[in-house]
Amino acid sequence: MMRAQVGLGLSGLAVATCLAAVPPLRAQEAAWAVGESAPAFTLPDTYGEEHSLADYRGQWVVLEWLNYECPYVRKHYDSGNMQQLQRTYTGRGMVWLAIVSSAPGKQGYHEPDDMNAISDERGSAVSAVLLDPEGDVGRLYGAKTTPQMILIDPEGTLLYNGAIDDRPTARLSDIEGAHNYLVAAVAEAMSGGQVSVPTTQPYGCSVKYAR
Amino acid sequence: MISRQGSRSGVHSAALLAALLALPPAGVAPTQDTEDPSPHSDAELVSEVGTIAPGRPFTIALRLTMDPRWHSYWRNPGDAGGTTTIEWHLPEGFTSGDIQWPHPRRIEAPPLVSYGYDEEVLLLVDITPPPSLAEGAAVTLAARADWVVCEEICLPAAAELELRLRVRAGPVAPNPRWSDAFAATRRLLPVRPDGWEIRAWRGTGDFVLAATAPEGWDGSPEGVYFFPARAGTIAHAAPQALSRDGRTFRLSLVTSEYLHESVSRLEGVLLAPPGTSWRAGVEAPALAVDAPVTIGPPTAAVTLITALLFAIAGGLILNLMPCVFPVLSIKILGFVEQGGADRTAIRAHGLAFAGGVITSFGVLGAILLGIRAGGTLVGWGFQLQSPAFVAFLATLFFVLGLSLLGALDVGTSLTRLGALLGPSGGFGTSFASGVLATLVATPCIAPLMGVALGYALTQPPLPTLLIFVSLGLGMALPYVALTAHPALLSRLPRAGGWMVTLRQLLAFPLFATALWLVWVFGRQTGLDGATFLAGALLLLAFAIWVVWRWPRSRVRRRRWALSRGLAAAAAVAAALLALRGTASQPTPVVDDTWQPFSSAHVAGLRASGRPVFIDFTAAWCLTCKVNERVVLATDEIEQAFRQRGVTLFKADWTRQDPEITRALESFGRSGVPLYVLYPGGRYNTAVVLPVILTKDIVLDALEGITMTKGTPP
Repeated sequence: MMRAQVGLGLSGLAVATCLAAVPPLRAQEAAWAVGESAPAFTLPDTYGEEHSLADYRGQWVVLEWLNYECPYVRKHYDSGNMQQLQRTYTGRGMVWLAIVSSAPGKQGYHEPDDMNAISDERGSAVSAVLLDPEGDVGRLYGAKTTPQMILIDPEGTLLYNGAIDDRPTARLSDIEGAHNYLVAAVAEAMSGGQVSVPTTQPYGCSVKYAR
Repeated sequence: MISRQGSRSGVHSAALLAALLALPPAGVAPTQDTEDPSPHSDAELVSEVGTIAPGRPFTIALRLTMDPRWHSYWRNPGDAGGTTTIEWHLPEGFTSGDIQWPHPRRIEAPPLVSYGYDEEVLLLVDITPPPSLAEGAAVTLAARADWVVCEEICLPAAAELELRLRVRAGPVAPNPRWSDAFAATRRLLPVRPDGWEIRAWRGTGDFVLAATAPEGWDGSPEGVYFFPARAGTIAHAAPQALSRDGRTFRLSLVTSEYLHESVSRLEGVLLAPPGTSWRAGVEAPALAVDAPVTIGPPTAAVTLITALLFAIAGGLILNLMPCVFPVLSIKILGFVEQGGADRTAIRAHGLAFAGGVITSFGVLGAILLGIRAGGTLVGWGFQLQSPAFVAFLATLFFVLGLSLLGALDVGTSLTRLGALLGPSGGFGTSFASGVLATLVATPCIAPLMGVALGYALTQPPLPTLLIFVSLGLGMALPYVALTAHPALLSRLPRAGGWMVTLRQLLAFPLFATALWLVWVFGRQTGLDGATFLAGALLLLAFAIWVVWRWPRSRVRRRRWALSRGLAAAAAVAAALLALRGTASQPTPVVDDTWQPFSSAHVAGLRASGRPVFIDFTAAWCLTCKVNERVVLATDEIEQAFRQRGVTLFKADWTRQDPEITRALESFGRSGVPLYVLYPGGRYNTAVVLPVILTKDIVLDALEGITMTKGTPP
């Protein structure tokens, strides 16, 4: 009797969750998962050279979702915070790929030469700026905002996906004293430990995807 | 009132780009370098009162007006955008309260959803002036507001604002210019859920928010929406599935892909469908929610009374469980031998036994409460997760079996243990055998009582204790009934030579139990560990044989002392050997079909929309083993999993494992078995399968998952 009751209750629960689980949106949109292999991609950079994630097996990789006009991105570039991280990490042999998923005609999209000009002017120190005008790679990684940061280890495992830090504002004055999640994840992962905060809600401007 | 802010000139993205390209080198440029510090929006401070009085709190507001299609954001901006902040510069003695946010609107920009305001919003703030203020003085309240205004693109905005108010004694004068706007805004503020019962839990991996309407509420929740107060808790863009059950409705809220820690409270605003109010007779479209998140669903049906009834029923059934069987047979033997004695004494024995059972259940409950309070992650059935305890139990059953065979008939230090089974015990012995029965029964409870115990674990101490006591009550009932109605007892066969046979026969279930425990021990400590334990049992058997062969009454003192020394040495060696066994590590089981459980790994796969199946199991869980042998490990089911690319995890709880305990708790369980399927897809919501599996149940659950062409990852 007891077992039947419990069983009934459980199957009721299962039915309820089944009903709740009907996915009304496009399934399998994002394919990233912390602790899993980072989704493979190949994108051209602003000089027309193709970059595959697989090319960087054996190296630490940072992905940065970029839109130079977004005030939240500008907070980190105007302050020099982003460029300093780029210099530090690329100096340590890490690969830093900035990805622009803005669709043509939308904010953040620039023709390759213009993009190079802005990057030079901003003092960017990334390994490459990759162009993703279709937004496929952005969707693959569930990129919601600019900036959004992703860390991938030399085995190709995704270790962090989320906000750059814990101050979700566009104010320059909030750079100082903020807890930088990417820096923490790099430090923990490189010392052989677990990344204690593997995901955070990213903040910033929406990625200007093609509709 | 005075407000200072920039003009309302629009800044197009082309102009912005031009401005950006002309920026000075990095590190020097301020964020707001465009001419208009508050593009596409304006800000001012407005007051609900015309004058203020000393010590009398009043309300002012930051009023934001946005160009058409541009919006500012709520306290949780959602997937993009940013919240509004106010930094106050108040005169000496003035204090300001928190921003009171009117409920926001969903701003959809697939695949993102943000929460914010269009056109105009008043963010209310209570200001408390000091008790002493000069009559007629003018007070200037200053603030810096920072907000973000977005259409397709986002722009930061800021304004330095001031508001001048005059102090006047007597009643505070209203401000006719803004009183309507304040009144309209107040209607949009979330109201306290008076009369409503709001609960939240994380029953199936996702959040469930349940609201029970007060008597007389006749609204419809169709179209209700929950705005979470904090980002990163629920997936903002996910649909919120509504289900109804009488006066209660539930919203299923998909967990955010960025959530990686436990959430103790679910805070936010429930927005009623248009035209609906949460309160009878007044306009109240927004309900404030701040509910503790319990582990597991305190399903509406499981009130304390039903939980107690479930517990009693569960206790009754315990008597039929395989691992109680040896004790039950021991007690039947006891009844048979007591059959001839005085009836009141029999009844008293029954009650003493019941007392032992109930007390030890109470003690177990108290221990569990203590452990829970101590924050240790230990669940029900934890006794068998400790190899030392398993070794102890195996030894105990082995020795009891030997004693039933007659090896311990004579007086030794073990007499009292043997007396637990014998006819000559006092009431204390009956009580003690009740305790023993409970000890053996505990691991059987978890699979049977998953829901009730899950409920108990979420309850305050008193209900938890009551549930444990009810379990004991249920288990003890048959014994009380049998002893209270000796007519039933007298139907049992009369004592005779068959009793010796029966008694010896009953040794074998005990040996079988010991064998099973050695196997469990082997799962915990590997083949070496199990062999050490078997060796310990061998030495113990030798010690008992020595004691039996040279009983005190028949041998001389020197020989007796020598034999006892030998027996003691063998017993000590046995204990050391068993202890050595507990230190062994299990041989890792290489299994390419099932991987060991990792919550991070599961969370990752889940977030990526891939199907996952988790088998929460333990070597000492018979139901689990049956389900695995008959259903999960069959070719048919394994092939069905393979075809759909389901990643299979085995969460082996044979040994204590905090990660698995936590995972079980997140499903409202405190024991195994538990079968969880994430069917894949964008909102990969858990489906909990029944405790007793059949192939059809699993195949039905897999139905919705599309077959993959390639081999699973």
